[in-house]
Amino acid sequence: MSARVIAFGTALLPPLLLVGAWQIASSTGLFPPQILVSPADVAGTIAELVRNGELGSHLGDSLFRLFWGFGIGALAGLAFGTALALSRLFEALFQPLFQAARQVPILAFIPMLVLLLGIEEGFKITVVAVAAFFPVALATFDGVRGIPKGWLEVARVYRTPFPSLLVRILIPATVPPVLTGLRLGLTRAWLVLVAAELLAADNGIGQMMEMGRQLFRIDVVLAGVIVSGLIGFALDRGVKLFERRYTRWRVA
Amino acid sequence: MNRPLPRIALGLIVPALILVWWTVQSNAGGARALAFVPLGTIAATFADLATGGLLLGDALTTLSRAVTGLLLGGIAGIALGVAMATLRPVDRLVGPIYHAVRQVPLLGWLPLIGLWLGNGESAKLLIIGLAAFYPTVLGTYEGIAHVERRYLDVGRVYGFGAVQRFRHLLLPAALPLILTGITQAIAFAWIATIGVEILLGAGGGLGATMGIAQAQQRMDIILVAIAVTALLGFAINHLFARLRGHLLRWQGNPA
Amino acid sequence: MTAQPRIQPQSAATDAPASGALTLSALSKRFAIEGRALPVLDGIDLSVRPGEFVSIVGASGCGKSTLLRLIVGLDTDYSGEIRLDGKRITGTSLDRGIVFQDHRLFPWMTLEENIGLALLNSEIPKEQRARIVCEHIALVNLTGFEKAYPHQLSGGMAQRAAIARALVTEPTLLLLDEPLGALDALTRVHVQTELQRIWMRQRSTVLMVTHDVEEALYLGDRVIVMAPNPGRIRRIVDVDLPHPRDRSSPVLHRLRDEILAELTGAPDPENLVRFPAQEPR
Repeated sequence: MSARVIAFGTALLPPLLLVGAWQIASSTGLFPPQILVSPADVAGTIAELVRNGELGSHLGDSLFRLFWGFGIGALAGLAFGTALALSRLFEALFQPLFQAARQVPILAFIPMLVLLLGIEEGFKITVVAVAAFFPVALATFDGVRGIPKGWLEVARVYRTPFPSLLVRILIPATVPPVLTGLRLGLTRAWLVLVAAELLAADNGIGQMMEMGRQLFRIDVVLAGVIVSGLIGFALDRGVKLFERRYTRWRVA
Repeated sequence: MNRPLPRIALGLIVPALILVWWTVQSNAGGARALAFVPLGTIAATFADLATGGLLLGDALTTLSRAVTGLLLGGIAGIALGVAMATLRPVDRLVGPIYHAVRQVPLLGWLPLIGLWLGNGESAKLLIIGLAAFYPTVLGTYEGIAHVERRYLDVGRVYGFGAVQRFRHLLLPAALPLILTGITQAIAFAWIATIGVEILLGAGGGLGATMGIAQAQQRMDIILVAIAVTALLGFAINHLFARLRGHLLRWQGNPA
Repeated sequence: MTAQPRIQPQSAATDAPASGALTLSALSKRFAIEGRALPVLDGIDLSVRPGEFVSIVGASGCGKSTLLRLIVGLDTDYSGEIRLDGKRITGTSLDRGIVFQDHRLFPWMTLEENIGLALLNSEIPKEQRARIVCEHIALVNLTGFEKAYPHQLSGGMAQRAAIARALVTEPTLLLLDEPLGALDALTRVHVQTELQRIWMRQRSTVLMVTHDVEEALYLGDRVIVMAPNPGRIRRIVDVDLPHPRDRSSPVLHRLRDEILAELTGAPDPENLVRFPAQEPR
């Protein structure tokens, strides 16, 4: 217990040192405030943005888009990946297109989608969904295809009925790679959402940062960096906790 | 399944249907025609851009930008990964900062870097480099930290010094994971390159062209640029996969 | 526990080498596990003559492998003394070679690179190294496989390569930690014969840990039988037969039965035959 506290403390120390150095550097007055503001100012700005509800509103908009975009993209990815792995016909029909589309760097879809869908909510949710779709579909495909043949043979030897085969073997065997894919998809979705908001939005965390930049409010920009980092951390950590809980059998 | 030809034909059905649907949409006229450019126009635009040398210029700009960023970030990443894996104080000091900074979505740094460095080449290279940096650090660190003790014992038996240990043992043993890190770095740096080009606009490149085309509502140019981007990305990945296979030929068929 | 009074073993060596005398005195080793000290080796006394082949057998957990780690110098945290030719052992050195149960060839190096790496810090001049590596590859009958990577070698070949790597520095003491333990029965017999032939040519002192009593007797001038918890020497058996040996020698069979009975605590093996057959269900 105390060892964990100490480990946590030592992990916290370097960032604190960094913040300390930052505070000192900004208080020397060598840097103009458009370039460097003190961490205390940034904290004040965050507190102000929280108090006047601006941060909450931007964050709410961003998370709404993330929720729907990721939800739709991940579900589509799960379904597509499973179908691709299980059906020979489906694979023959869609694999070439899937492999080709996968080569497009995800951000390159943004200009196309803007022209197709405009810059409203539909566009942002779609671009997030596309970002989530590819990693999840790929991981699901690999996961289902990667089930060791030996396990299926064991099931055949014991004449396992299909429902138990599904519940006892297929799902547990695919959960770990799929969760990894979901985590990657979520990271990608968040990255792409922030980029899309920087480019075209009138609200959201990305837009808040972009406005900060245009107004030379570096404190607002840094507040956005910190908040988006915290969200990224929370998302990643959330899926990891979930992974650990449901894949405990892997590393005993 | 054993006859490859029908299988390829099956794979063409869906793309063909999409093209048909696209054509129907573009013939529908009105506002749709803006987005659904006729296929003939796209082909003509491609020929135009290709023969005019614009496409090649953009592609080269983007490629050299990506490669430069990749080299900068990759080399820095390997150096930091090695330092973190071999020197405990560095790991203690830099590790937590690395993991904290990594949580910020890459392009979220753009407004800040824009304020600091403007929207020129250095801002772009910084973001691309950062994209390459993260996975390389992680791969290198994991690779070296997880070198099996049984191999380290062999090094001790034969009296390896620090340099010998690094060169003959740690580095080659870590190579598979380092190369995995670089593979991810390439993919991520390529996305970042297109991203910064779209977002920062100036300075040319395929992404900048897409951004301008979007402002001018030129779907044909966007689609051509997307196709070229995808092809280039595929080619880079493929080349690196071959290099990786060559460097790891000692692995045989890893299970 | 003290070693029994030693009778000079009748080594097959006609010209015994001058160096390679190993002495262990009052050697003890304990591991700290969850704050408690767990003794693994307790008061080992043993002296091995130059050029002698000594086998060590014993149940799992009797500290056999730990003993070799101490002697090779990978673990220096022990009490008592280990001396090679009178010099106290303080760490690893090229005068002691070791072969592990897993061959531990570096997978990223070819066979000849793997063997050559043992010479990185040797005093042998660089221009002679290639020739020496080549000779040792020939010694273990792997000529033609110089450029092969470990994954391209069979288990027996890889283990022979590991033996060549251990020998290339011409160590005065060669330690073998269950070197054939991972091989199938047939390959084992082959490599045992090889090992005997190589040892008869090299004439270095050998200390071999094994599970296999027959192997221990076939190769060893003496067989040390160890007892577990904590590891200590239970008995030393002299194998008074010249090398190369005949596997079917009645002496070896009698000694095998004796040692097995000692290790398993079972009655005379002849009684085993009279166990009632299992009732069919």
